[in-house]
Amino acid sequence: MVEVDSETGAVILKRYVALDDCGPQINPVIVEGQVHGGVVQGIGQALWEEAVYDEGGQLVTGSMLDYALPRADLLPDIEVLSTVTPSPHHPLGVKGIGEAGTIASTVAVYNAVIDALRPLGVTSLRMPLTPQRVWQAIQQAKG
Amino acid sequence: MYASDFAYYRADSVAEVGRLLRKYPGAKLLAGGHSLIPLLKLRLASPSALIDIGRLDTLKGISVTDGGVRIGALTTHAEIAASSDIASRAPALSRAAGVIGDPAVRNRGTIGGNVAHADPASDLPTVLVALEASIVVATGETERTVPAGDFFQGMMTTALGEQDLVTAIEVPAAANGQGQAYEKFSHPASRYAVIGVAATVSLTVSTVSNVAVALGGLVPAATRAGSVERALSGQAPSAGAIAAAAATVSDDLGTDLIGDIYASAEYRRAMAPICVKRALTTALGHAFSQAETAKARSPWWKPSWL
Repeated sequence: MVEVDSETGAVILKRYVALDDCGPQINPVIVEGQVHGGVVQGIGQALWEEAVYDEGGQLVTGSMLDYALPRADLLPDIEVLSTVTPSPHHPLGVKGIGEAGTIASTVAVYNAVIDALRPLGVTSLRMPLTPQRVWQAIQQAKG
Repeated sequence: MYASDFAYYRADSVAEVGRLLRKYPGAKLLAGGHSLIPLLKLRLASPSALIDIGRLDTLKGISVTDGGVRIGALTTHAEIAASSDIASRAPALSRAAGVIGDPAVRNRGTIGGNVAHADPASDLPTVLVALEASIVVATGETERTVPAGDFFQGMMTTALGEQDLVTAIEVPAAANGQGQAYEKFSHPASRYAVIGVAATVSLTVSTVSNVAVALGGLVPAATRAGSVERALSGQAPSAGAIAAAAATVSDDLGTDLIGDIYASAEYRRAMAPICVKRALTTALGHAFSQAETAKARSPWWKPSWL
């Protein structure tokens, strides 16, 4: 769940719920940690991370001062839920969980922002959804 | 990248800083190192010598003065943010110090280093200009005081000369009934202010007075927004009056607006009135609640139902 600041274009993450199924969990703490890491990496792609090159091919987001990695204070508490469906193809019934959170989170956050902008007729935007990009879309939609 | 070679000296007194600066022209002063070290590593600066002032204990700490607070140049952002003396006398400074960078930066970075570096996207210059603080500068044995409004002259350019050392910052205490705010549009990576607006306002009877607004991140040096100040002064406080005053900020921005890959000059120009509006709204809210508290404490004031 996201909120878009209609004046600035800033995206504020309000709530994130992840539901994954890796079968029986040998170490639930590690499962939760893997989901957290994956979710955050995916959100980074949706909202912050971007390799920008100038006309000369020079990478201009080459340092941590410019390339925005997700940081804890930008994120809500991630609510992790799981179902347990054993895999028939493995003697322990287990399935992978590493980075499973990544798969859904980019799309979930992106679609949530687009859904917030839908009343304005915005149906797609280039990632990452920086405040400037969202603001431009809002301005264009308003005409 | 490694920094290019430099000589290293550690000063044990303010007088010795003066001697070393005379002896090694072009030397840079090292305090918390959070602006200088990145510049050295990017080789944007290659001084022949560094003079470490980090152990000059006389430049550390916060003291309450008759008119406000005196903050030693080597006081860290974390110490400023945690100080109850500053929170009660200069709340906008307290808030700004608490949103600089991240905890690691706040624990090492110093107010003196911050103002001497004068990055346009820095938080403290904006607040110091709005609060009409003064920068205390030592040249050898002599000391002078420079108003913050005169100190910040351009992008990373200050009133400091080659032999000068910032020793302290003097910040006047907020007047009774004054509300202060610092509104920051933070860069998600660097945590510098894409836009920073500091505002102070007072409420007298039913009009807004003593309006001070300063802008950071938008222009090469922290600057007062004179048009906004004039537009709001003497008005009755309302959302409409604030929005109308904030809209005049375009007259204060000039043509030399900062823009980069994260936020273009056009975007910053559009965001400026919004950030000014939010800073003024918060500051006015604080002024209101102070007026309410004063009323509740006054023996002459009686609630209407009595």
